Amino acid sequence: MTKALSIFLALSAGLLCAQEYKVGAQVTDFQVRDLDGKTVSLSSLKGPVTVVTFIATQCPVSNSYNQRMIDLYKDYTSKNVKFVFVNANRSEAAGEVREHAKRVGFTFPVYKDPDNVVADRFDAQVTPESYVIDGAGILRYHGSIDDDMNAARVHTQRLRVALDAVLAGKPVPAVETKAFGCTIKRVHKAS
Amino acid sequence: MMKRAIAFLACFPLFATGPLIPVDEAGFQKLVASHKGKVVVYDFWATWCAPCRVELPLLVKLEAKLRSQGVEVITISADEPEQKAAAEKFIQKFGVQGPAYLRQAASDDHFINAIDPKWSGALPALFLYDKSGHKARSFIGETDMAALEAAIHKLL
Repeated sequence: MTKALSIFLALSAGLLCAQEYKVGAQVTDFQVRDLDGKTVSLSSLKGPVTVVTFIATQCPVSNSYNQRMIDLYKDYTSKNVKFVFVNANRSEAAGEVREHAKRVGFTFPVYKDPDNVVADRFDAQVTPESYVIDGAGILRYHGSIDDDMNAARVHTQRLRVALDAVLAGKPVPAVETKAFGCTIKRVHKAS
Repeated sequence: MMKRAIAFLACFPLFATGPLIPVDEAGFQKLVASHKGKVVVYDFWATWCAPCRVELPLLVKLEAKLRSQGVEVITISADEPEQKAAAEKFIQKFGVQGPAYLRQAASDDHFINAIDPKWSGALPALFLYDKSGHKARSFIGETDMAALEAAIHKLL
């Protein structure tokens, strides 16, 4: 019991202390792995505007957004927006991520974040959870893709609104939003 | 009508769980106020959340163990309206006691912030309230029941 409790406390402490990237501040370079295990840096993936979205293979909320993510990628790649889709779940290995991407028809690559280092820097907690970085490397939006898991009930296209604002050089109307989702399945860290 | 239904159920907390009662952020605050004098665990869960489904029966067991000491577990489903029937089946299957609730908020952001501004909305989420109706602890993600029980005992 003591061991279990201490692991829980250590995990909690990690969650509270790790955030590095905050809205309005610089996002420094970070590394993810492609599904062959090769290290890839944000600096080689970013564009004039970059979206980082944490996703999952097994989370029903994340999966309910699969088509919406494909549409976003299609609609905004043509506007020179780059997308970095990241799976940080310890429970979903690269092989599973590859199989899932093929099965659901993702038209974009998905990267792994081993030991959820990048998720910790963003303090990402759920899937899906999105971040928009502008050309100067400043984090301009953090939150959900839209305001409802059910596509038929969406009122506000939050990520699209943020992207349109950043692309137009205007302030993002809502820089931080929240949504229900599945927790990112983190590795247990000592501190 | 809904207020009367809530009042009725609140008077008989050990009745078998019926249909999920919609609750928004104001309703949640009323719920907290009406449970002063007890140590309460508010469990936010959903049918689509695998760790929530694992946790729910464990919480039912924990409540059964500690109920005589004034501990209550209140479940609030974050399911969408079309999953309401599935959520009701689930709480009946695991013998959740007393009234159970379904999040019905105009805005998820407002609802989540009203529960806890530090909460991202990730599930499962447990919020532990002391006898004076103040939030004592929050447990986000998969929670070790021994850790929760230890936190509860500190409030008894």
